[in-house]
Amino acid sequence: MRKLRVGMVCPYGWDTPGGVQTHIRDLAEHLIEEGHHVSVLTPISDDSITQQDYVVNAGKPISIPVNGSVARVLFGPIASSRAKQWIASGDFDLLHLHEPAIPSLSLLACSAAAGPLVGTFHVSTPKKKAIYAIGPILEPIVEKLNARIAVSEMARFTLKDHFETDAVVIPNGIDGQRYANARVNPAYAKPNTVGFIGRFEEPRKGLQVLLDSLSIVARFIPDVEYLVAGPGESEGFLKDLNPQLRHRVKFLGLLGNEEKQSFLKSIPIYVAPNTGSESFGIILTEALSAGTAVVASDIPAFKAVLENGSAGDLFRNGDSADLAKVLVALLRDDEKRKKLSENGSLSAQKYDWQVVAEQIESVYEMAIAGGQRVTLASESRFWSRR
Amino acid sequence: MSYQTLLILLFVVLIGWYLSFSASRLDRLHHRVETSWATLDSLLQQRAALAHDIVSESNLDPATAYLISSSAAIARNANIVERSAAESVLSESLKLVQGAAIDHSLELPGDLLVELSDITSKVKIAINIHLEAVNATRNVRAKPLIRLFRLAGKAPLPVRYAFEDDVL
Repeated sequence: MRKLRVGMVCPYGWDTPGGVQTHIRDLAEHLIEEGHHVSVLTPISDDSITQQDYVVNAGKPISIPVNGSVARVLFGPIASSRAKQWIASGDFDLLHLHEPAIPSLSLLACSAAAGPLVGTFHVSTPKKKAIYAIGPILEPIVEKLNARIAVSEMARFTLKDHFETDAVVIPNGIDGQRYANARVNPAYAKPNTVGFIGRFEEPRKGLQVLLDSLSIVARFIPDVEYLVAGPGESEGFLKDLNPQLRHRVKFLGLLGNEEKQSFLKSIPIYVAPNTGSESFGIILTEALSAGTAVVASDIPAFKAVLENGSAGDLFRNGDSADLAKVLVALLRDDEKRKKLSENGSLSAQKYDWQVVAEQIESVYEMAIAGGQRVTLASESRFWSRR
Repeated sequence: MSYQTLLILLFVVLIGWYLSFSASRLDRLHHRVETSWATLDSLLQQRAALAHDIVSESNLDPATAYLISSSAAIARNANIVERSAAESVLSESLKLVQGAAIDHSLELPGDLLVELSDITSKVKIAINIHLEAVNATRNVRAKPLIRLFRLAGKAPLPVRYAFEDDVL
């Protein structure tokens, strides 16, 4: 394949942690490694920190509630004119827009551009949300995409529901090697340790379910330890806990990238107790490729990643007693745990960037087959400042 | 100017804007269908050529070999309406090759097999993209105002292509 000039648009604040941002960063870096030219247009909250040199700042994002969490997005006339400038001066072969169906920078770029456009849909929501009520207005804009990618079957169904369009399913990629070869941290590598990563203050991340299971697990395995990583205020959770069990739970705060990798590598069991609205569960694939045994709630997205329980154990969503049962069984049986993590790391191989990026590149190839380049759409040319 | 004429004028302007907007939207969609079909068509041609190569360079039994080469020939010569059906027959018969490769009863140069699985996954994506474009175009063309004003002009109605998700 010939080397392309790819413009990518990230809808959310680049400096806030999130699955979409991570996906874009990894994809961009992988494509650059392959010899393509990549430029990423994104909102940035704190412009005093210098970012990677392929990142282009589009302005400060504002916070709006989306899908149970807070999204930091950006739109408005200034953002729109920045997007137009970026498109006009970028000389791109192709634009790759992430989450183009929510009002954000991606949507602005999509409406302003003409030529080969590819969109990736990350979100999955079971019901029509207010943000999708404007579907009919968005339809002519989303229609411009030459190819759509959904990161999971769930995201694809959401797209089908809201826009009556279909998409190619290409999963999120991860850099499997980085997790498999991470350094083992002895502080986390104690035998009866259970780990959790996430913005635990959000109820949908399900930390409460995990903590509720502690009273049962501790009865069978007295020296069990729960390690909770992620940004947030831990006081409230500790206060509700039985005082005798409090020292069994440790909050580690936000972990850096390398710390996170060695955390996943070191802990014997990772638990994902999320109660819903997960589209893919990239953290599961990361834990799997680190070689950790994974236990997750049986929501559709997780069931798909864990291949119905063969790559990791499932428990009934929201049921902390069931979670405790699964955890005790795994902590007691070293053989079973080892088998599970072996299956897991094997199944995680298909999420490796090597495999995933190749699929994305063949979508690019088809999108550019018409031989056009990205230009400003005729209706936006009048306003552009060349 | 009375209130009524103003209202009528506004209405006419709105309709005019909508029609011009729809015309450019439809034009874009037709263009998309053409491109996605060109991509899919060239991939399918490549696949048919590959099918012939596989037949001539492997030890397939005569029945399977005949099935593959005849379905490839039919698929190559099919017109656009029959194309989809002919290509699914070819997909089915190429499945036999992959099946034989799995139980090691087949002698076939490895690179042809890799090429086959590569092209199969590309065809899958291309069908998906083309189908999307066809459906979007047909949906827009079905709108009453667009049919009334014949915005589609002389452009032929895009032909649906059967999705082979279960086969490929």
